Amino acid sequence: MSSILTAVAVICAINTALAILLLIAEALIVDTGECRITINGEKELTVNGGRSLLATLKDEQIFIPSACGGRGSCGLCKVAVREGAGPLLPTETPWLTPEERKAGIRLSCQVKVRRDLSIKIPDELFSVRQYSTKVEDITDLTHDIKQVTLKLLDPPEINFKAGQFIQIEVPPYALTDEPVYRAYSISSDPAEKDRIELEIRYVPNGICTTYVHKRLKAGDTVTLNGPYGEFGLSDSDSEIICIAGGSGMAPIKSVLLEMARAANPRRCRYFFGARSGRDLFLADLMRSLEKKLPNFSFIPALSSPQPEDRWDGETGMVTEVVGRHVKDASRAEAYLCGSPLMIDACVKLLREKGMPEDKIFYDKFA
Amino acid sequence: MKQSVEYNIIQDNMRPGAITRDGMLGHDRRNLRDIIEADDAEVHRLGLTHTSVAARMRDLRDAGREGLGETVTVLERFDVRVDSARGKLPCPFRHEGLFEKEFVEVLNRGNGARTTFTALNIHMIEGHGFYEGLGSPFRLDPARLARALGLFHET
Repeated sequence: MSSILTAVAVICAINTALAILLLIAEALIVDTGECRITINGEKELTVNGGRSLLATLKDEQIFIPSACGGRGSCGLCKVAVREGAGPLLPTETPWLTPEERKAGIRLSCQVKVRRDLSIKIPDELFSVRQYSTKVEDITDLTHDIKQVTLKLLDPPEINFKAGQFIQIEVPPYALTDEPVYRAYSISSDPAEKDRIELEIRYVPNGICTTYVHKRLKAGDTVTLNGPYGEFGLSDSDSEIICIAGGSGMAPIKSVLLEMARAANPRRCRYFFGARSGRDLFLADLMRSLEKKLPNFSFIPALSSPQPEDRWDGETGMVTEVVGRHVKDASRAEAYLCGSPLMIDACVKLLREKGMPEDKIFYDKFA
Repeated sequence: MKQSVEYNIIQDNMRPGAITRDGMLGHDRRNLRDIIEADDAEVHRLGLTHTSVAARMRDLRDAGREGLGETVTVLERFDVRVDSARGKLPCPFRHEGLFEKEFVEVLNRGNGARTTFTALNIHMIEGHGFYEGLGSPFRLDPARLARALGLFHET
C-alpha cells in the first residue's frame, strides 16, 4: 500500500514540476518583450509582444472588426501582414482565398505579435473609435426584437454613414466570463450624432442578445466601437429596391431616414418580410416616410398572416412578393439585409430579373 | 472507462476556447467515451438511433430554411426558424470541412417542447453519437431532444 502511495506522490511531484517549468517557459518565451508594428508604412507602434495582433491593436485603440471575439471562427478580422507574421496557421487557411494568401492577408486574431510586424489596414479603420454610452431607452419592437437607444457620453458624438455597423462590448456575466463583442447595424439617422439606435433580435443562447434582452436596462452604460462597413446607398440615380427581414430593418431604416432628410427623389421600393402581424414593426414610420418621399413605397409581406391580423396586404415569402412586383430589374440596384438564406434567395431572384451582380449590395448577418 | 489517445485529442478539441468559446463539454468531468456511451444507451432506451434522430433534425432544418430566416410551420406541428451567425466551425472529431454557424429553433406545438441545435450538432450526432457534455450551452439531452422532435412517444 505504501509503495502505491509513494508512486502516486512521485507522479504528482513530477507533474507539478513540469507544470511549473511550463509556466516559467511561457513567461520567458511567449512574452517576447517590446515589438514594433508599422502600419501602412507610416504609423509606428511600440507594443508588448506575446498577444494576438487583434488584441494588441485594440489596446492601441485600433479596432479591427471581429464577430467571434478572436476565436478564428468568423474570418472577419483580416489584415495584410507584410513582414513578421510567421507561417500561415491551419486555423486561418479555411478563411483565405489563394489570392488573399498570396497578398499576405492573415486573420489578425491568429497572428501572434512575437517580432516586429509591418501591416496594412484600410485607412477608414483609423476613424474607428471606442465610445462610452448610456442606455437611454429600450423598446419592444416585436416579441423578439428590441430597439436600444444609446446616448453617447465619451466621445459625445459619432460620425457614421447610413448602413454602417458598430460592435457592442458585452461585459462578463452568467454566459461569459470575459468581454465579448458583437456587431449590429445602426438604425438611426446619421445626422443624429449624439445617440444611435440598434435593433437586436433575440437568439437562444446568444451571449449578446441574451444580455440585451434579459439584463440590459435604461441607465446602464455600454461600451461600443465603430463605425464599420461599406454597406450604404450608392451615388446614382438608379431605382432602389430594398429587401429586408427581421432586424435586417436596421440599416435600411437608417438609409431611408437619410433619404428623407435629403429629400432624395430616387424611386425606392422597400419589401419587408415577416411571418405574421406580430413580427411586423415600424410600419407607421415607413408610412410616414412615404409621405415625405413621394417616390418611396413600403411593401410589407406576411408569409403566414393570422386571422387577428386582418391583413389585406401582400402575402407570401418576401421573394415571391418581390417577384410579383419587379418585372425588370436590369436598371435598378438592390440593398438587402437579413438572414443569409434570405439574401441568397433574393440575389438569385434579382439576377433572374436581370440585375447585374455588381448592383446588388447586401449586409449578410453571417 | 479509459479512452484512446485519439479520443483524448478529440476531447481537447472540445474544451473551452479550442473550437468554440464555451467548449462542448460544459461541466461534465467524464471521459468523452463515457459521455458518448451514456447517451448512446439513452437513445437506445428510447427506441431510437442516432441516424434517426439526426435525420429528423436535418428534415426540420431543411424545411425551416424555406422561411428565409423567419419561422415556418412544418408538418403542421413544428414551428421552425433557421438562422445563422457569422462564421464556420470545424468538427472536433477532426473530419474534413467546416460547418456553417447555422442554428435551428424548434417548437413542438403538440407538447410545447423546444430545442435549439446547430448544423454541427446534426453532424456530431449522426457521425459520432455525441450530444455534448452536461452543462454545455448546446447540450442536447437525448430524451428532451426526442420529445421536441416528436420522436418520443409520450404515455
